[in-house]
Amino acid sequence: MSEVALLGNPNTGKTSLFNMLTRSYETVGNWSGVTVEKKVGVLRGGGGRIVDLPGLYSLLPLTEDEGVAARFLMEESPASLLNIVDASQLERNLYLTIQLLECGRPMLIGLNMVDVARSRNITVDAALLQQELGVPVVSIVARKGTGCADVLQALGGLAQSEKSNFRIDYGPVIESSVTRMSERLSQAAAASSAHIRWTALQLLEGNEAVRSSLSGSDVLGDLDDLIAETSQQLGLTGEESDVPAYLRKIRTERITRICAVALDRSAQRIHTATERIDAILTHRIIGIPLFLALMFLIFKLTFDWLGSLLSDQLDGLISGTLSGWISSALDGLGASAFTHALVVDGIVGGVGGVLVFLPQICILFLLISFIEDSGYMARITLLMDRTMEAVGLSGKAFIPFIIGFGCNVPAIMAARTMEQRKDRLLTTLLVPLMSCSARLPVYALFAGVFFASDQALVVMGLYLMGMVLALALAKLFSRTLMKSEPSLFVVELPPYRMPQLLSLLRMTWEKVKGFLRKAGTIILAGSVVIWFLSNTGPSGFGVNMNDSFLASIGGALSGILVPLGFGTWQAGAALITGFMAKEVVVSTMNIIYQVPDMAGLEQQVAMAFTPLQAFSFIAFILLYIPCLATVGVIRKETSSWRWTFFSMGYSLVLAYMVAIIIYQGGRLIGLA
Amino acid sequence: MLLKHGSDHHQLALGHMKPGDTVKLHALHRASPLLRRRLRDLGVTEGSVLKVLRLGPFGGPLTFECVGQHIGIRRNEANRMEVAPL
Repeated sequence: MSEVALLGNPNTGKTSLFNMLTRSYETVGNWSGVTVEKKVGVLRGGGGRIVDLPGLYSLLPLTEDEGVAARFLMEESPASLLNIVDASQLERNLYLTIQLLECGRPMLIGLNMVDVARSRNITVDAALLQQELGVPVVSIVARKGTGCADVLQALGGLAQSEKSNFRIDYGPVIESSVTRMSERLSQAAAASSAHIRWTALQLLEGNEAVRSSLSGSDVLGDLDDLIAETSQQLGLTGEESDVPAYLRKIRTERITRICAVALDRSAQRIHTATERIDAILTHRIIGIPLFLALMFLIFKLTFDWLGSLLSDQLDGLISGTLSGWISSALDGLGASAFTHALVVDGIVGGVGGVLVFLPQICILFLLISFIEDSGYMARITLLMDRTMEAVGLSGKAFIPFIIGFGCNVPAIMAARTMEQRKDRLLTTLLVPLMSCSARLPVYALFAGVFFASDQALVVMGLYLMGMVLALALAKLFSRTLMKSEPSLFVVELPPYRMPQLLSLLRMTWEKVKGFLRKAGTIILAGSVVIWFLSNTGPSGFGVNMNDSFLASIGGALSGILVPLGFGTWQAGAALITGFMAKEVVVSTMNIIYQVPDMAGLEQQVAMAFTPLQAFSFIAFILLYIPCLATVGVIRKETSSWRWTFFSMGYSLVLAYMVAIIIYQGGRLIGLA
Repeated sequence: MLLKHGSDHHQLALGHMKPGDTVKLHALHRASPLLRRRLRDLGVTEGSVLKVLRLGPFGGPLTFECVGQHIGIRRNEANRMEVAPL
């Protein structure tokens, strides 16, 4: 089946188009770097596969996510290319377009955001652009789906259409060098004939991905000599002697000529709405307080105003109605007492106990999606950069931090969009301190019992604690462990847009689905295992829980937990099982305390902990270890077991220190 | 503040402009290489016309507008970009 690669500058709507062309619901957002890895889909109408790639400005990648796209083009040889071009930023977008055209593959251009361009009085003539570039150009509005049918149709006819005759004459020095390099390449059969000119040009430009694809071949030495020679000759002509800069200059001149024909910006207007919103939201004095107020509003909505109300309703439904039905159904089927206990106490108790918090998680994800889609995300990095700079990080690290409030796994992957390795590594190590939605059920349970009147405040305090510790450790780690390179910060501020309700609901649903999947797999399996361990002991099945295997496993830990205020086997067992997924802490407690519903569990927890012990416990849960899935992604992104173990080790030490300070400090000031 | 340049004409630093100032970017060579590349990707090069939009508090980032796009960079980098008044 033929494969189409979707390429374009960051934040030009590639994923929106991908979703429209494939009926997928991949996450879209309004900042540069939403998509950090390739995503494959099947075109509607069975026209083959399409691959959505991270955005890039040119084929010379600067960041990891751009590298994914540049390498894909080299290694996978897609049959055709779909290049998305932002009509309101035509000049800048065409640079990549030219590099792709030189690649010599069948190509279609999707001229996106023509509505945004029109609203700013920017007119792009698609027909003239098509004439200039020699490949079909289709006007689209990907977010609304306008023109997507045309794109599908044009893609279908693409393979048959003749190849573009687009070619730039780079002048005698470069052209003769390209000819000689091409000869050398075709002798060695090192590149397929269609791409030889492109390969030579990319080598001259210094494309590492292309270079490394030739490594091992004996032509590389000769080619390097030719490149050095070209640079010398170019210097002799009195031109720019830096070959990449010279190539860029020639291409830019061509783009200027193309735009003179196809683009009319004479009556261009600025984004007045965006300007007005930014005057408030990024205001030098009220900008940061507004951001903090917004965060507090999110917690209020999630925990106080909406979340806990809905959660109580759901609890009644699951532990009352549903549990009752399952119970009587099992009785009706004549199930044994063993099966009955396994299903009702183990599975319904363990999984249901976590599902109860679905409303909070939905609301949090919905609000995060709103921030992602509105364009505010890029502004947050701008507001926070001064603080981040002080601790040796880029303001852009705040994007992974905020995504981390939803789930740490995509957050760590989002660190790819930062330009410097040090920034990426530090962010990867620190994201686990961002309190993800999996930790939310634990807070909701404990805060509901002990701090009912100011739930939102206590929970926001925990989130802030994670954030402050992350900043403090960033300072520490960047001083001690990293090479002292200054971090880089440069951010594009896209125009604001009103998120569409449908798209928000889809994005939320995609994230909630992940939570439900986890409930059906890890949490379910964990609950069954915990139930077994809590009912079996050295003397067999059906022992008193205090003599069970779970009690001895948890008890082994309880000794070192005593100074933290929760030296019980129950707490120890919950912490060990929580490594699988933090929600399992709540499942474990549900099973251990064998309670039919939330109210019962809350009573049990209230007896087992004092408020101070409870606070020490939830602070420990916040910090103590990245969950299993997060450990996996840290290993993948750092490609280093050392850093992976480091991230687990430092968080354990940190959690222990923080919990001991909270508990012992609290006792000292008489909060026992 | 005025920066001494090789020749006898004086250059201004972008970082010392005020919101609302419109300037022409004169030289980028003192900015860090990574930033230079990223700005070039965004179409900001020698000769580009920039309008300063906002300055962050406590020496925070400078936001400017260039060919219709809004871009934020650090003040110390902006201090190393030479501009000329229009």
